[in-house]
Order: sequence, then C-alpha cells, then structure tokens
Amino acid sequence: MSDTSSYSGPAPVARSPITPGPTRVGDGALSLNDESSVGKLLVHAPVDGPMAGALGTRFGRTAREAGDDTLVVGSGPGEWLVVASVQDLPKLTTWLEQQGEGDPGLVSVVDVTHGRAMMRLTGQAAADVLAKLTAVDLSDSVVPDGGAFRSSVARVATDVIRDDSGGIATSDRPSYLLHCERSSGQYLWDAVVDAGGEFGLTTRGATS
Amino acid sequence: MMLVPCPWCGPRNVAEFRYVGESSARPDPATTSASDWRTYLYTRRNPCDWIKETWYHRMGCRQYFGLERHTMTNRTRPAESSR
Ligand SMILES: [Zn+2]
Repeated sequence: MSDTSSYSGPAPVARSPITPGPTRVGDGALSLNDESSVGKLLVHAPVDGPMAGALGTRFGRTAREAGDDTLVVGSGPGEWLVVASVQDLPKLTTWLEQQGEGDPGLVSVVDVTHGRAMMRLTGQAAADVLAKLTAVDLSDSVVPDGGAFRSSVARVATDVIRDDSGGIATSDRPSYLLHCERSSGQYLWDAVVDAGGEFGLTTRGATS
Repeated sequence: MMLVPCPWCGPRNVAEFRYVGESSARPDPATTSASDWRTYLYTRRNPCDWIKETWYHRMGCRQYFGLERHTMTNRTRPAESSR
C-alpha cells in the first residue's frame, strides 16, 4: 500500500456517479442527498481481534465518537465501513494500519471512496420509502438509530445505515445512509426518488 | 417466496443468496482415487429427505454457511455447524 500519510497536495476529487436529474422540491420534511463524495474506507479484520476492538463496533451496529465526523459501521462479519471526510482519510488510514499491525489475523484497509455511491434519506417517512424497496423490517426495535444491515434495496446489494444524528440538523428525524457499488448508484438513486415521490421527497445532488 | 435463515442476518428472501450445493466431505487429494474424486466433484445424493447444503449470502453478510433443507417441503433448519 502506498504511503498515504505523506500526501500533502490538495484533497483528491471524489466525483459522484449520480446525476441527480431535475431537482424535486417537496416541503422539506423528506430529503435525499447525494453523499457519494464522502470518504469511505473498507476494513477487513478478524471478528474479535484487536482491530475489531479499536474500531469499537460489530456487525449490525455503528459507532461514532462524540463530536466526531467519523462514523464506523459494522457492515459485515469481520468487515467495517469507515465513513469520514476525504481530508481525514490519510491520517485515518495511517491510524487504522497501525491498529492492524497488532492484529495476528489478516487485516486490510482499502479506500473505496471512488468505487461506491452513497446517499442519505432523511425524514419521518424515510422508513416508509425504504419499505417499498426492501423486505427488511425497519421498525425502531429492529433497526434503531445506530443499526446497520446489508440487504437487497431495489434489488441492489446495499448497506443501510440508520444514522439519525448524522442527518443535517434533523436529529429528531430518522436518517438512513444507503451505500452501494458505484455502478449501481444512479439506478438506486432513481429508485429512491421514484419511491419517495408520493411522500414529497426533496432531492439534492452532490455538494462538491 | 422462500425464506433462507442466514446465521448472521436472520431470515431473508432466497433471492439474496446463491445456492452453492449439496455439501459432502472432501477426500484427501493426496490419497484419493480418481473415481472417488470424480464422485466428490460431480455426484450428488439428491434424496427426497433432509440434506445438508451450502449457501452464500451474496447480497447480505457475504458469508458461506451450512443449512439443512428438506427437498420435498423446502423446510429449513440450521446445520450442526452452520457458520
Ligand atoms: Zn447473511
């Protein structure tokens, strides 16, 4: 792996695969934002080793340090998705690799920022929109704030991450991150826009 | 629709999985005969009964796991060592 810690140039450009299409403006109660340009690291490590301890969460749950922008998602057994700003990725990668050195198992840290699409669906009706696209029960008892699962969403293998506090000034409303392969991003976006139409969805494309 | 009980994710639609096939013990390649190896690769028991199978949860946890399924009723139950 290249030495990312010595990189000092401008922050790399992370272009979204999603063309948002005509902006839909609802009443603002339900929004879909393209967050594909947010940094994403994929970590593989043994389920119960020191790396898992350093990441601080497990399959099906997320962790966020208080006041920190970095979100750690237990996206699979022995698999984590670390979501952070692109500017933070070099130091985060270095830190993760240091944790991995102490782990006797096989550990990998891969930057998948450019390979994935990510969007955020926020609003009281968010679960109703997703219920049209996935079979998993999204009630609070099954997927509370801080819950995560991967399943078929509009027939795309998608990480669904309940992250209410990450919603934009909407901590009282449910907010879901949807994360999938880059090549499926446009399709998933269009599917969510279509499903959200009847709920008055407002869309917003990538900000960078 | 058939629900497949993933040991990691719980019951999910069968469309999320890849069916790997009937599980059987792999002979030691160093000592096996050509005939036994061919049987291992290509011959399945295919009974009308409970069989042990391997499934892959491709749209979920991306893990392979064992499952017992009744080939007549499609009822499923966890295999003894399912993970
Ligand atoms: Zn699974």
